[in-house]
Amino acid sequence: MNKNTDVVVMGAGVIGCAVAYYLAKKGCRVIVIEKKERVCAEASGANLGGVPLTLLEPSSPTLEMHKETLKLFDNLSEETGYDMEFQRVGLLTCTLDEGQHSAMEKLAQGFQQKGIDVKLIEGDEIRKCEPGLSDKIAVGIEEEETGILNPFKTTHGLARAAKKLGTEFLLATEARTIEVDKDKITAVVTDKGRIGTEFVVNAAGAWTPEIGKMVGLNIPIEPIKGQAMVTEPVAPNQRWRYIMDAAYISHGSAPDEDSEDINMRLGITGGWIQENTGGWTIGSSHEANSSKAVTMPTASCLARKAIEFMPRLKGVHCIRAWANLRPYCYVDDLPIISKVDSPSGFVIATGHLGAGVTLAPITGKLIAELIIDNKTSLPIDAFSFSRFNNQA
Amino acid sequence: MGNKTEKNEKNNIICRCEEITEQEIRDAIREFDLKTVDDVKRLTRAGMGLCQGRTCARLTARILAEETKRKASELYPPSRRPPTRPVEIESLARAEEIEN
Repeated sequence: MNKNTDVVVMGAGVIGCAVAYYLAKKGCRVIVIEKKERVCAEASGANLGGVPLTLLEPSSPTLEMHKETLKLFDNLSEETGYDMEFQRVGLLTCTLDEGQHSAMEKLAQGFQQKGIDVKLIEGDEIRKCEPGLSDKIAVGIEEEETGILNPFKTTHGLARAAKKLGTEFLLATEARTIEVDKDKITAVVTDKGRIGTEFVVNAAGAWTPEIGKMVGLNIPIEPIKGQAMVTEPVAPNQRWRYIMDAAYISHGSAPDEDSEDINMRLGITGGWIQENTGGWTIGSSHEANSSKAVTMPTASCLARKAIEFMPRLKGVHCIRAWANLRPYCYVDDLPIISKVDSPSGFVIATGHLGAGVTLAPITGKLIAELIIDNKTSLPIDAFSFSRFNNQA
Repeated sequence: MGNKTEKNEKNNIICRCEEITEQEIRDAIREFDLKTVDDVKRLTRAGMGLCQGRTCARLTARILAEETKRKASELYPPSRRPPTRPVEIESLARAEEIEN
């Protein structure tokens, strides 16, 4: 089974599918190879389905990507002819800690300075709008542009749209080696045959380092386990279907293995989304762990955190829990969206940690621009592979 | 089940929790070229309700086998996600205290 193509994409997760779609849209011939028997097999199918605008500090270099990805999602269902169930529902980021009041004010100002329309809301007013929320909530930031979606339909929808534009998906196919001649990529050799190509996009998520090694690159990504769960349907919230603990922004999401607090060790960050069905998705852990097993201590911490903010969930039943491995750049917790100096033709799209589905469309668009136009519509210097040169 | 059911595809409820019909399942398999019960679950919600597919997973597997012209035994086994039966969030929250 020998083939030729313009670009080989490694990995049929949401990033790989988005990269394939945006490349195919620009007229590129693409082959996606995936070692599992299906698309969306790993972390892309094990998340919360949020597209938050204000996920990180206002100073984060990813903020512009969050803005752009939301705009792309606005049109993506129509563009691909498949309903990904994307909706703008807004986001309430809040804290139980009265001591964080001035920090929250500052955070709100920071977002406003970046042109994001956020509003500081006191605890009492929050409860007036949403009686089910805890008396202990001190203050929150409301923002209206954030969205939610169905991550399965998003990934499969992107894959289907790419296929319609001629992209071929080789599932249950494993890359063995990457052939390089005079520092240029010439082919990918799989267990099913050789694919001649000038470009390889490494979108293998938590497994990107394995592909990197095939061309002698050390890609600073490690797996972080993310566990979450969903409840039975309950009555819809009145105002906020997406609520987040402000600690997500202030502490970041990486685990602190030396902490005495189990929540810090397991990287528990409260994020809750009420799905269209009425069930609450309760997330999420960020564990320094390479096992995909759902574990009880994590489920217990997630449950406790959820009850702290939404006491009404106490008597609601959890019906399903899941976990998978997310790609975490342990150098600076930023994505890698980049060509590399050597070998020429090797491109990396990974390291989104918990924002893979969120940032998939913009990542796909930027990678397509990088490969075909050699320039991008957003600055991507902060995500370049060369930023690791001095740290090797 | 078997071929006799095809006449009633439209009204045949396969997943009672989520009210998913046989037709919806067949359409998803054909449209997305699905090969696994998990994928059928993810795109149609069959098996995502309160019983988590206890009733319908086998029916879904038989439809999938028929559509993909394979034996049900040749399909990838569906994943089993905890908990085995619904459990209150408060019980989960207390579980670690008991262990401690």
